[in-house]
Amino acid sequence: MNDMAKPPRSRAAKWTRRGFIGAGALAGGALIVGVAVRPGNPVGKLGPIVAGGEGEQLVNSWVKIGADNVVTAIVPHCEMGQGAHSVLAQMLADELDADWSLVRVMQAPADGNYVVTDTARGFVAPGTLDAPDWLEPTWNGLFTKISQLGDVMITGGSSSIRTTGQRTMRIAGAAARQMLIAAAAREWGVAAAEIVTANSTLSHQASGKSAPYAQFAAAAAEEDMPQTPALKAPKDYRLMGTDAPRTDIPEKVTGAAQFGIDATVPGQKLTYAAVRKVPVPGTRIASMKADVAKTMPGVLQILNMGDFLAVVADSYWQAQQALNTVEAEYTRSESAIRSTADQFAAFAAALDQAGDQGGKELVGKGDVAGALSVSAKTFTAEYRAPYLAHAPLEPMNATVWVRDGKCEIWTSTQVPLMARSAAAKAIGLSADDVTMHQPTLGGGFGRRLESDYVVMAARIGLATGYPVKMIWSREEDTQKGLFRCADLSRFTGGIDAKGRLVAWNNVFTQHNDPAEACDAPFYDVPHKSIRVAEAELHLPFAAFRSVDHSQQAFFVECFIDEAAHAAGRDPVEFRLAMLGNSPRHKAVLEKVAAMSGWGTKPAAGRGRGVALVQSFGTIVAEVVEVDMSQGKPRLTQVWCAADPGFAMNPDGFRNQMEGGIVFGLTAALHGEITLKDGAVEQGNFNDYPMLRIDECPPIAVEIINADPVHLGGAGEPGLPPIAPALANAIFAASGKRIRELPIAKHFA
Amino acid sequence: MMHRFALVAIGALALAACGSKVEPPVEQIVLREPGQPAGAAPAAATDLVAAGKAAFAVCATCHAVEAGKASGIGPNLNGVVGRKAGALADFGYSAALKQSGLTWTETELDAFIANPSGKVPGTSMAAGAVSDAERRKAIVAYLASLTP
Repeated sequence: MNDMAKPPRSRAAKWTRRGFIGAGALAGGALIVGVAVRPGNPVGKLGPIVAGGEGEQLVNSWVKIGADNVVTAIVPHCEMGQGAHSVLAQMLADELDADWSLVRVMQAPADGNYVVTDTARGFVAPGTLDAPDWLEPTWNGLFTKISQLGDVMITGGSSSIRTTGQRTMRIAGAAARQMLIAAAAREWGVAAAEIVTANSTLSHQASGKSAPYAQFAAAAAEEDMPQTPALKAPKDYRLMGTDAPRTDIPEKVTGAAQFGIDATVPGQKLTYAAVRKVPVPGTRIASMKADVAKTMPGVLQILNMGDFLAVVADSYWQAQQALNTVEAEYTRSESAIRSTADQFAAFAAALDQAGDQGGKELVGKGDVAGALSVSAKTFTAEYRAPYLAHAPLEPMNATVWVRDGKCEIWTSTQVPLMARSAAAKAIGLSADDVTMHQPTLGGGFGRRLESDYVVMAARIGLATGYPVKMIWSREEDTQKGLFRCADLSRFTGGIDAKGRLVAWNNVFTQHNDPAEACDAPFYDVPHKSIRVAEAELHLPFAAFRSVDHSQQAFFVECFIDEAAHAAGRDPVEFRLAMLGNSPRHKAVLEKVAAMSGWGTKPAAGRGRGVALVQSFGTIVAEVVEVDMSQGKPRLTQVWCAADPGFAMNPDGFRNQMEGGIVFGLTAALHGEITLKDGAVEQGNFNDYPMLRIDECPPIAVEIINADPVHLGGAGEPGLPPIAPALANAIFAASGKRIRELPIAKHFA
Repeated sequence: MMHRFALVAIGALALAACGSKVEPPVEQIVLREPGQPAGAAPAAATDLVAAGKAAFAVCATCHAVEAGKASGIGPNLNGVVGRKAGALADFGYSAALKQSGLTWTETELDAFIANPSGKVPGTSMAAGAVSDAERRKAIVAYLASLTP
């Protein structure tokens, strides 16, 4: 073994490697990128699956090099517009010293070898991430096993860059680089330490030898895998921290990108299924009358699946038109909730019962009741958030072909292994008999963390036996999916004689993820009681972009704003005074205040509002300026300061802040799903509108890189502050306090 | 209006005895197969075996018929006529079917397809009952035509 490839802790590493081979697990952690290439060579096993192209050589599980010197990063997360594919490749490429113009991205197959061990670990047991080196293999092996058992191949939680990027892709790139150097050193008969790498080329100055990576790719795969490859320090980054152009943009601009809804089945003519689920969750189809549909052109089959109807036809249009004529009766729902008013009455009843102290305490500190009793001033506030649909531009769809005891599925999903298992179970196959194809997602936002639509398509496919593409109509997508929960949240605040927030009493009914979303622990507040008093939800729940932060940030940051006004203090100055122990939060808030000219007086009729939220490891402060001179809110500018630790691709990070803000403004201004007779009332973009371009203000984003080791996420953290910042701005401009979303309905 | 050949199959609601989670259609109306010209009566109508082959398309989701091909969700049916029930080594039959003592004559097959769980209570064939006697006759004729 050559010196360069020898790991610093060789004994531990050797033990490690054997341990992994014995367990048959693929590693992906800080010290190990994969099991050793020999024996028990995963490259030999995985190569035919992921590197079957002419002249391609898999160097380790996560990277292959082609004869044309193209480096392909094999990425285990999905691409849904967030840019993770490209930035994960950027991180691998930097450690590999690859030429960015010759880097490509490949979606890793839905295969247990590509579980996202570090994402699971980051969420389940973040404490283990700082484990001593000798324990690292144990943790890594354990979480790989857990991830395989749990089908953890997941894109969510703003996690791709900070978990898989930091702890898998970079290490894979660094290890591959060392393996290439080792192979070249052996061939050239020179010391590995004398070989330098840059732009996908190896060179040795003294001998004048030089070669593209491709020349040594095959030999590199035979080298020992370094267990602890040295990673670059930030000062040595060449691609990380730069606006390296995203690899997915060209094909999206030309229209060549293939989304789930574009799927084709090679060599087969597709049929199309339109579906209609029962309108009220939990009910069944009692009877179906399809006489007209039977006579309509193109119709192949009409199915009553018990919980949904489907028409299969030669084209989607024919299927949907025929489905529209199918009459059905449904069983009655057992839910007592029939209307939006019923839903909020259920919330209110739960909160009434909990009172000032009841429910399950999530955060408890000091003596809230005592502090309130001696406060100079107390105030109460009740906030409401509605149900929301995710409304991705690409509606739910899946293409399936069930035949000969096997099933192939083409679908946009954030959870390919879970979708595979769910589909397999629904049609009586084992997961190994189901092959997933993973096209690009036309939006996920949490909706595609659920596999309900994949299961429906698989059941249709089992019934037909021939390839079927099931597509939900926009109405179906808006009404029959899973939803961001509605909620009601009550606060009592206490201000002391010095104008400080000393007591924070809060209770709400919905507590999902992240568990800490209801709190803002960076503010110094001595007495706190945050509780959940659970109440039934009529509509099924799915994580929404930023999950609980999407409603909790509105509740908490409006409450803080109300506290500032109750104390008679400036909202920024009031917050800064509570950030004495949180220097990074303070810096972010000061930055956004400076960007927005917070201390200056806005033009007549205008006001500014601020909010500060930490979510998914990233600290974000936003200021909204709103013009109320026309009696309705018109946003004139949004400023955003964010500290994600380190932005791997600043342009991509800004893009995600902007996207989160726009998505959050859609929800804050317009988003509301209401119930009538137990069913969702909205159907399409006419009654469930998105933010329009004429409503969208200029958005300025600035990034603070305060900790390059512990990264935060990008996909979600831009969203939470925008609703409270806007509501607080409306108050500043007009004195009207918004405590219920969406905002537009208060100015209709 | 064009003449259509409509097949209506009312699937069994009961789940298989083996505890499978597969939920078959409550009702499956098959109007035609993909690629078949719309409006034309299927060629199958003129020939019993051909009609059976067309009708079998739905069954083929679970049952292979090619000689030597592995069983899928249901057993391979090549050469089923004349075979003892539960005879294939590569398929995990329900105990009920294995112990039924049946030999698959055309008459027994017809009766089984008409009502699988009525004929052999405990069978794991949860879906695929064919209520239409003409269609059953055609399917059985097609199965009888399949020889190894």
